[in-house]
Amino acid sequence: MLDINHLDTFYGKAQALWNISLSVDKGEIVALVGSNGAGKTTLLNTICGLLHPASGSISFLGERIDGLTPHAIVELGISHVPEGGRVFTSMTVRENLEMGAYTYHAWKRKDETIKQVYQVFPVLKERERQLARTLSGGEQQMLAVGRGLMSRPKLCLFDEPSYGLSPILVAEVFRVIKSLREQGITILLVEQNVRQTLEVADRACVLENGRVEVEGACDRLLTSDYVRKAYLGL
Amino acid sequence: MLVSALNIVINGLLLGGLYALVAMGLNLQYGVARVLNIAHGEFIMLGAFITWAMYTKFGINPLLSIVIVGPIVFIIGFIIQRTLFTSLRTSAPSQPAFEGSSMLASFGLLFIIQNVALIIWGGDMRAYSYYNFGINLGGAVFAANRLIALIFAVVIGIAFYIFLVRTRIGKAIRAAAEDPTTAGIMGVNINLVLALCFGLGAVMAGLAGVFLSMCFPIYPVMGLEYLIITLIVVVLGGLGSIPGSFIGGFILGLIGSAVSSWQPSLALAAYYFIFMLLLIIRPKGILGK
Ligand SMILES: Nc1ncnc2c1ncn2[C@@H]1O[C@H](COP(=O)(O)OP(=O)(O)OP(=O)(O)O)[C@@H](O)[C@H]1O
Ligand SMILES: [Mg+2]
Repeated sequence: MLDINHLDTFYGKAQALWNISLSVDKGEIVALVGSNGAGKTTLLNTICGLLHPASGSISFLGERIDGLTPHAIVELGISHVPEGGRVFTSMTVRENLEMGAYTYHAWKRKDETIKQVYQVFPVLKERERQLARTLSGGEQQMLAVGRGLMSRPKLCLFDEPSYGLSPILVAEVFRVIKSLREQGITILLVEQNVRQTLEVADRACVLENGRVEVEGACDRLLTSDYVRKAYLGL
Repeated sequence: MLVSALNIVINGLLLGGLYALVAMGLNLQYGVARVLNIAHGEFIMLGAFITWAMYTKFGINPLLSIVIVGPIVFIIGFIIQRTLFTSLRTSAPSQPAFEGSSMLASFGLLFIIQNVALIIWGGDMRAYSYYNFGINLGGAVFAANRLIALIFAVVIGIAFYIFLVRTRIGKAIRAAAEDPTTAGIMGVNINLVLALCFGLGAVMAGLAGVFLSMCFPIYPVMGLEYLIITLIVVVLGGLGSIPGSFIGGFILGLIGSAVSSWQPSLALAAYYFIFMLLLIIRPKGILGK
């Protein structure tokens, strides 16, 4: 579904991603883990069109998407829940969700989709008319996830959706991610909770200093010495 | 005494409507496209001169000029944003650098538009008479054309607010004003929305020019004076707050009218005084965040 080949991305003259190759198949949850500054956010931002790679290619459903603008990429069916959520604080909860359905096709079905998101996150329905800036950090994070579902995406990019959430809410977010897969949505998930992530994901890719360090099925990584030492503290 | 107070209030509201309209336009350009458009007053001048020329040459009703001036200034504003400011935005290393370079560029725009107008229309003051009879309201007398200007300014202001709150594009504009990057990953075509905002801002200035030409004499270098008043209104209402600009326009209109009734030459000085006072005690304005 998503094929990344030999990708290099720069911030000005500083190279942040080196020769990244990664593929995500339809219906999979692929996790992207790695320490701070490894390049996870940079990779997601390159996929969604906010950054343009210096070399290499990204294809989605067989079509080259590197070089497209972010709004064109959303139209193709990729949604992005950015790092820190970045909800629109001066707009209401409902308006934030509507913004998630901004693309032409999603807009026509937005009322129906909002109902579905409210079923997943009932607290958002209670806060429907509140400005997003009056939500707690965790509620804003849930709003960001809900907003990411509003475009009825084929592929979801999640950048640390559980950041700052209490353990109960972290479990909730992982439950939602699993249920998305059951609905046929493919997921590329950046996470710091390595153990929980490896338990829900099918495959994982470990980034270090902008390079792919290890890649493989999660059950294999969970038992690999490298991952156990570096990320699970065992 | 009572009549003169009524006079001050009515004149203040009439003036305030125009200020509000122009300030909403400038605030839209600054709040979303991040361009502090020094050439904003030139769009008022263009609107005023096109209306005057249409009326005196072809006898076209000044109110009908709305549908001529609106599209013309919209297209000019849209193209300027798509070309000049979009390329400045992509080449600027940072947001503050862009705000600086775009302001300087808009200075250049001011001189270009002004000089073209001087070549076409010459430097003379112009005026025409349209609905220039007096209306008497409880002893206060004012020209009918100013009431027309007020009504249109209020209707346009309210319609625009509803557009921002209710429509899909309006919501995209508000989202882009807060966080253009995130609006982009929601599917908003940012360059298009910025150009739309710039064009709509120019329309508000241009339409204010249409109404202004019905009420006051016009001249090709009039833009700068209105720009300064507009900047004060925008700061008064809060940079980036459209409702703030609307209310701020009326407040400044009322203050200007009160000061003028006492000492006409002091109005502009009073505006500056308020401006400085505001920068000291409440720099974010009435409704600013
Ligand atoms: N806007 C930027 N300009 C320049 N360098 C950047 C920029 N954003 C990130 N970097 C650099 O790129 C590298 C990768 O950063 P990135 O944000 O992708 O890491 P990350 O894996 O998401 O980290 P974290 O887990 O802390 O979110 C870092 O060295 C960082 O300093
Ligand atoms: Mg990150």
